Amino acid sequence: MAGTAPPPQGRPTGGGPTGDGAAGVVASATRSTAARASLIAAAAGVLLVVAIVLGSRLLRDFDSALVPYAVATVFLTFGVVHRYVVWVSAPAARRLFTQGWKAALSWENLKRSPAALPKMIATYLGFQKFLGARSHARWAAHQLIFWGCLLAAAITFPLTWGWFTFTSAGAAGPGYEMRLWGFKLFGFDSGSFLGWALYHGLDLAAVMVIGGAGYFLWRRMRDRAATTGQRFGYDFLPLLALITISVTGLLLTFSEMFLHGGGYEFLAVLHMASVVLTLVYLPFGKFFHIVQRPAAVGMQLFKYTARRQGPDAEELRSCRRCGQPIDTVAAVDNLRATMRDLRLGFDEWAEYCPRCKRVLRGTAYLSNVKRGFK
Amino acid sequence: MLGRTIFIDPGRCIGCQACVSACRECDSHRGKSMIHLDYPDEGRTVASLPTVCMHCEDPVAPCAEVCPAEAILITADGVVQEADPTRCIGCANCVNACPFGVPKIDLEAKLQMKCNLCYDRTSYGLAPMCATVCPTGALFYGTVEELQAERPGVDVSTMFAFGDTVVSTGVAMVVSGERRAPVPGGTLNLIEVNGRPTPGNGARA
Repeated sequence: MAGTAPPPQGRPTGGGPTGDGAAGVVASATRSTAARASLIAAAAGVLLVVAIVLGSRLLRDFDSALVPYAVATVFLTFGVVHRYVVWVSAPAARRLFTQGWKAALSWENLKRSPAALPKMIATYLGFQKFLGARSHARWAAHQLIFWGCLLAAAITFPLTWGWFTFTSAGAAGPGYEMRLWGFKLFGFDSGSFLGWALYHGLDLAAVMVIGGAGYFLWRRMRDRAATTGQRFGYDFLPLLALITISVTGLLLTFSEMFLHGGGYEFLAVLHMASVVLTLVYLPFGKFFHIVQRPAAVGMQLFKYTARRQGPDAEELRSCRRCGQPIDTVAAVDNLRATMRDLRLGFDEWAEYCPRCKRVLRGTAYLSNVKRGFK
Repeated sequence: MLGRTIFIDPGRCIGCQACVSACRECDSHRGKSMIHLDYPDEGRTVASLPTVCMHCEDPVAPCAEVCPAEAILITADGVVQEADPTRCIGCANCVNACPFGVPKIDLEAKLQMKCNLCYDRTSYGLAPMCATVCPTGALFYGTVEELQAERPGVDVSTMFAFGDTVVSTGVAMVVSGERRAPVPGGTLNLIEVNGRPTPGNGARA
């Protein structure tokens, strides 16, 4: 409480859950969400184990040297699914989740604009155009990390699950065959460029990731916008983890090519530890944005399709005072419903533009608090 | 009990825009001003109103509550931060939910931006940029005791009424000494401004 300003009379209607009863309701809701999340996450983990067993032809193709990686992916699945369920159970995310999926799975939307969803996935998730609007350098560095990690994951995850196998085509020749779930995908000559690229895919990914993460690390030390409010665990750890994984991975290749395998076992353990710790950490820190970012596509598709709802429909909601467009009608209604879910009793204000809200407050202050601002 | 915070006194604001310029110098959003300077009764009076983020305490940060991406974080000392660029999806929920009209959004960059009480400065005990340059003290940074030592008889409020809902904030506004009711957050059906009726409510054409 400031100065002598009095406490409000009774509880403000929008004050959120405060009383013991309300706190109890919230606590039990949190508990039931956590229980549901644990159940779904455990089911997802079990599903992955079953997929690993079946995909590796009842563990015939499973490489037991890679067990720690495979176990880490099971933990990763549990963690990601658990946090995802908790996340989409909160009022704002739940409403957007529903609207986004409704827009994505709507047959009407698909018929009207079949290219909208693939195009949004490509621009938001693949090429991340919005990052270019923030900074070109950050966009370039992020693209390096993104494609590098994607490449690395595409190679390593199926390998550690025993889904990919490489078998010799014949007893004598340099021919190799790449197989998925035991089925032959294609054959190649291990001495060819394709063979070289296949065996060095992870080195290429490591170089890309080191380039991108190195730039971000430099930025974390020098850029004053980035250093404001940065935290070690949230901002530095992910970068250090990516760089550690990439450097130890490259060192494995270095040991094999130039040291005749010297120190390979130690490096392999170091690499494995850094990967496992990163995978297990993924659901908790900055890396979770990988899982959250697709919500941008859901949100954009929801707003885009809401604008195209029939010729007579009111497309945009205008500010009730100045008439400037605020957002799509569906988005404003969705927000007002979210605010009511959260017991924020001023959802009517959402139909005024930010400037009019400030001007209304200014005029009220002018008229009621300090007449004429005296 | 209020700690060190911003005290806004629109009665002292001369609309010079110094705060707007100084805000642009803040390291966390260099080149972009997060402060709003509005003229509520434009053309009739020179009244102006500077708006910084009020850092709502109860309900705590409605902007953060309506954020579907968990992007707006609140520090332990009650400062509502701008959206985490890693998480913000640019949905504008915060922009439209904030009853004070504070957050801005860059739709192209899919990024919300707002006043973070110059966290790079205030977390080290320095005053925010806007309060540092304000020539009239319309934006004052300090404790309520420091304010009252400089301006005897002045009182402040952190209670704002939006309809039936009262929002209590971390940033305070100066009010006249006898005021006991929350500061009005605005009247949606505005019938009079500064003692004069508005158009449609008896204003002379």
